[in-house]
Amino acid sequence: MLEATDVRVTIGGTPILHGADITVEQGELVAVVGPNGAGKSTLARAAAGIQKLTGGDVRWDGQDVRKLRGRALARLRAFVPQRPRVPAGVTVRDAVRIGRSAHIGPLQRPTAADRAATERAIERAGVERFADRMLTTLSGGELQRVQIAVGLAQEAPVLMADEPTSHLDLGATVSVARLLRRLADDGLGVFLVVHDLALAAAVADRVVVMSEGRTVASGPAESVLDSARLAEVWDVDASVEAGSQGQTALRVSWLGDQDMTRGSS
Amino acid sequence: MSGRRVLVVAVAVTALVLGVGASLALGTIDVPLGTVVDALLGKAEEGPDKQIVLQLRLPRTVDAILVGAALGVAGALLQGALGNPLASPDVIGVTAGSGFGAILILLAFPGSIALLPVGALVFGLTAATLVFVVAWIGPDGGGSARLILAGIGIAALFAAGTTGLMTAYPDRVQSAIFFLAGGLVSDGWDGMKQIWPYFAVGLAFSVCLIRPLDRLALGDDVAASLGTRPRLIRLGAGGAAALLAAASAAIAGLLAFIGLVVPHVIRMAGGTASHGFVVPVSALGGAALLVAGDTLARTVKPPLELPVGPFMVVIGVPMFLWLLRKAV
Repeated sequence: MLEATDVRVTIGGTPILHGADITVEQGELVAVVGPNGAGKSTLARAAAGIQKLTGGDVRWDGQDVRKLRGRALARLRAFVPQRPRVPAGVTVRDAVRIGRSAHIGPLQRPTAADRAATERAIERAGVERFADRMLTTLSGGELQRVQIAVGLAQEAPVLMADEPTSHLDLGATVSVARLLRRLADDGLGVFLVVHDLALAAAVADRVVVMSEGRTVASGPAESVLDSARLAEVWDVDASVEAGSQGQTALRVSWLGDQDMTRGSS
Repeated sequence: MSGRRVLVVAVAVTALVLGVGASLALGTIDVPLGTVVDALLGKAEEGPDKQIVLQLRLPRTVDAILVGAALGVAGALLQGALGNPLASPDVIGVTAGSGFGAILILLAFPGSIALLPVGALVFGLTAATLVFVVAWIGPDGGGSARLILAGIGIAALFAAGTTGLMTAYPDRVQSAIFFLAGGLVSDGWDGMKQIWPYFAVGLAFSVCLIRPLDRLALGDDVAASLGTRPRLIRLGAGGAAALLAAASAAIAGLLAFIGLVVPHVIRMAGGTASHGFVVPVSALGGAALLVAGDTLARTVKPPLELPVGPFMVVIGVPMFLWLLRKAV
């Protein structure tokens, strides 16, 4: 569905991406991980057609992203940003309804099918309990689910989420992770930018590792997130461990060799 | 539409209808309401009452409706496009530019007073154009913060020009006070004949911007995800607001208060920020407020006509503060 090759982006004269590759198919959850400044969010934005490319190729369903018009692109992918604006005077249902607008012509009114799609997105994201509340009254976890509902209302085959769990507590993080996994199991392609390596290992079908503006590895978590790569890319002594019930843990030698008795968790 | 919103629309329409009735009937000479209706329907006998209604008060009331509606819409567009509750036509430099254009004609070229509306319009649009050019050049061009900062800078430039003119012609400053305070005049259809196309284009653009502004409310990235170009929408909304505010200044002087406060009142009263509600109902509310304010300004101390600006503030501020206290 998404095929991006040798993606290059320069912002304000500074090269941010030097050649990144990624593919996402429907029903597949791909997690993009990497240190701060590796270019994960820029890759997501460039792939989504929100950030201008300076080189490389991004194709959605075989079509060049640079030639796709706004509403056509909106029907191929939905982008859930890292820090959405939370306006006053807008209810959850209003916001999700706005997410449907790519399917409604400039002078058309929403049809019964559009209203049904809005309700379906509310239900899939699990936000029906607070659908009539104002956005300004929601918790961080609830807001993030609403943002996903806005994306789902686009009914695009791929949902892209840029660090949706970065400001959430453990419970809200698990809730969003389960939601994204369930959506992928239902056939949606999910492009997830995430910091948490244990979370990536738990939910992703494939993990793409980025470092210094390039993709350096792609594959199942157990093969790409090994100790050697964590040391090379993140400069840490750590390992990702997976249990038989789908639990994952990140074991980190927090204080290095200085104090091994207190050092691991 | 919820019952609360229907009630807000009903109140705004009722206020506008009552205001229009009062505006046509009351003044230095009161005309009975029956005669007003007959004059409007073409049934009134020839005479001074018919002349007063059709040639003086009707054009002035239409001016008030259009200017009030235009300023209400301009404020709603800018507050939506910039995601900033403090946005009004002041922010994009229009008020300062129009003020400078009008004062230039009034003080430096008092013999060409007929050019006052043109001066206000041209300099208002020039100031807004400068703001857009400065805000769109360079990295992150077209962002809300850049637009607001460019607006503050350009507005300060034109305000300094206005002060300079007032210092250079201190003996003529008296003639500028009415324009600066904001007020309508009974000049028949002359002013509106020149200016109406700007209102028409601005209002037509505003209708097209309603849905894109809703998308922008969720942030630039969500708007982009939905296929909208946020900077283009901001430019479109700024351009439409500049046309409406500069055209309004050409007809009625500086009445920035309507653009700032009316959209807030409508949002708070209706309990929604949906532009499909806020934009048209701000037009109704702005029109009702200016018609009522102008009627008061003409009838408080007849035959003296006072500037309408302070009267609108007297009507609008208590309502605004009451709603602000109740708002969550």
